[in-house]
Amino acid sequence: MTSPLLKAHSHAAAALQPRRRAADLHGRCPATVHLGRSHDHGFTSSRSKRSGSAKVKAFPSLDVVPLMVTMVEHVELSRDYVVTKSIWHLSDATLKSVYTFYAMFTVWGVCFFASMKDPFYDSDAYRSQGGDGTVHWYYDRQEDLEASAREELLREELLEEIEQRVGGLRELEEAGREEQLTK
Amino acid sequence: MSTSMATTPATTHAVAPAPAKPPTPRPCCNHLLLLPSTSHRHRRGSVVARSAKKKNPWLDPFDDGPDEEFDYQGMFAGGKQEEDPRPPEDPANPYGFLRFPQGYNPELDSLASKVRGDVRRACCVVSGGVYENVLFFPVVQMLKDRYPGVLIDVVTSARGKQVYEMCKNVRYATVYDPDDDWPEPAEYTHQLGILKNRYYDLILSTRLAGIGHSLFLFMSSARDKIGYVYPNVNSVGAGLFLTEMFKAPTTNLSDGGYHMYKEMLEWIGRPAKNVPQQPTPPLRVSISKKLRAYVEGKYDSAGVEKGKYVVVHGIASDSVASMKSRGDDDCLLPLAHWAQIAKEISSDNKGLKPLFVIPHEKHREEIEEEVGEDTNILFLTTPGQLTCLINDSAGVVATNTAAVQLANARDKPCVALFSSAEKARLFLPYMEDTGSCTVITSATGKLIDIDVEAVKKAVKDFEPAPSFALAK
Repeated sequence: MTSPLLKAHSHAAAALQPRRRAADLHGRCPATVHLGRSHDHGFTSSRSKRSGSAKVKAFPSLDVVPLMVTMVEHVELSRDYVVTKSIWHLSDATLKSVYTFYAMFTVWGVCFFASMKDPFYDSDAYRSQGGDGTVHWYYDRQEDLEASAREELLREELLEEIEQRVGGLRELEEAGREEQLTK
Repeated sequence: MSTSMATTPATTHAVAPAPAKPPTPRPCCNHLLLLPSTSHRHRRGSVVARSAKKKNPWLDPFDDGPDEEFDYQGMFAGGKQEEDPRPPEDPANPYGFLRFPQGYNPELDSLASKVRGDVRRACCVVSGGVYENVLFFPVVQMLKDRYPGVLIDVVTSARGKQVYEMCKNVRYATVYDPDDDWPEPAEYTHQLGILKNRYYDLILSTRLAGIGHSLFLFMSSARDKIGYVYPNVNSVGAGLFLTEMFKAPTTNLSDGGYHMYKEMLEWIGRPAKNVPQQPTPPLRVSISKKLRAYVEGKYDSAGVEKGKYVVVHGIASDSVASMKSRGDDDCLLPLAHWAQIAKEISSDNKGLKPLFVIPHEKHREEIEEEVGEDTNILFLTTPGQLTCLINDSAGVVATNTAAVQLANARDKPCVALFSSAEKARLFLPYMEDTGSCTVITSATGKLIDIDVEAVKKAVKDFEPAPSFALAK
């Protein structure tokens, strides 16, 4: 029913259970939809489907983020302001991943955007030979050259054939004329 | 899968008799439609008897043969397919016609063309080297004749590809060695991608197919997959992936000699409704002007004049450019024999010179030692250039290499040296019809024992070609 990621989460959720209950009572998770009784959590829903309770989460819950403080400010003739403050520590591994991603993105960006205005690819030496920026153009061009050479060959042959036929016709005509003359 | 066009007469007829209605068995193949219906039954027995091939019902259980009411014939005479229509002109386009945006693959032809099973793009996977590819030319010509307007591409080995500079009917020639049993995976998939991208209607293969090669053909997504299969157990399962298969007579297709692709030619030229059997075209090669000019410069620098030399081809060599057939192992003659023949050619006072064609530069010194310092030697490896050379020569003396076929394709006088009479009959079956070719065979079945005196006598008949005959 669930992916391993969610399962791991459920373990974490079990450890955080008491605090989470408290949070639920305070109405913390804004992106969480509660259906039915609030103490029945999503992962047990398959067992207690009959009771009509399920918890659907649109976003990953903030369970990993320890809640520091929840402040409720009461203003007259208005709704309560609820301010939730939490703190988010990145682990060393995660931090490393973030920086790795940043570095790789930078390298990719340098390569990509630098090559976008490479003077060689814009130069006449490259473009005049048929280069179009892909790496395969050379082979395509070679194939096209060969194909056009063969087409040329076909045309030459056709011309030859036509010439031969025309020549034959002309000979026939001349022969006919000579016959007429001799008559 | 359209098998209507892809079933041979023998194949379909074996399946045709339906027990439910014996009086009028449904004619399931096109050529039977030409016959009056009374002749069906008494012909059937003989056809069934000779049809060793069964139709595989797994391929298409709903294939009842071609539709009797459908007009397979196009609008034009001859009953063959029409040529492709031209894309609509676009005046705003600098290329002169409507170019479709990238990623779109518009279907320009009519639906009827598809139903009829027209072949508009065909691919030939040709196994073997120069010789096999030269002999494949009639098949290409046949495709062109039988399916007007077809675009023919060729996939063959690097050596074989060079042949197609003499073939006017081919569009693209791609290098991929079908004989390689263990191709690089990247190369294999790349080639498959190329074949898929070109959307072939028909793919022909002359490599003997087992299940592996037929899968390769199948994965090209061509509509009809036609090929030779092994005559032994190696062909198991190949038929599942092929629309039509021909069992090769032996495991080496080249053993068939000049007619090595006979079954395929018959199948391509098979009669359809209102289309008679297409006659097999002879082997013809064409030479481009560019190539001719290039080769002229080449033999000028080798020291011979146009029309006044005799091409000597077939010197014993381990080079891959020797252009020998796979069906004839014993087809190269050692240099000592050639030296005698060459002496005979140059001793005549007709002004003829022997021109040795060497497949590798290493033979130059050997020839200079054996034949003489002032011998004319030309290093030449591509068949196109060889054809030009032969075309401008007075004649050819060659063993069973591609030079013999090329000389006959250009109607040049030729003395062909064969190891045995059987081989000669296989490789030059048209020899009786063309008077220009003299065949000399060895009595012992080994080329080295060939009667050099007979060759010398034959060589004396060469006349220097008059220059006007070479004008074309």
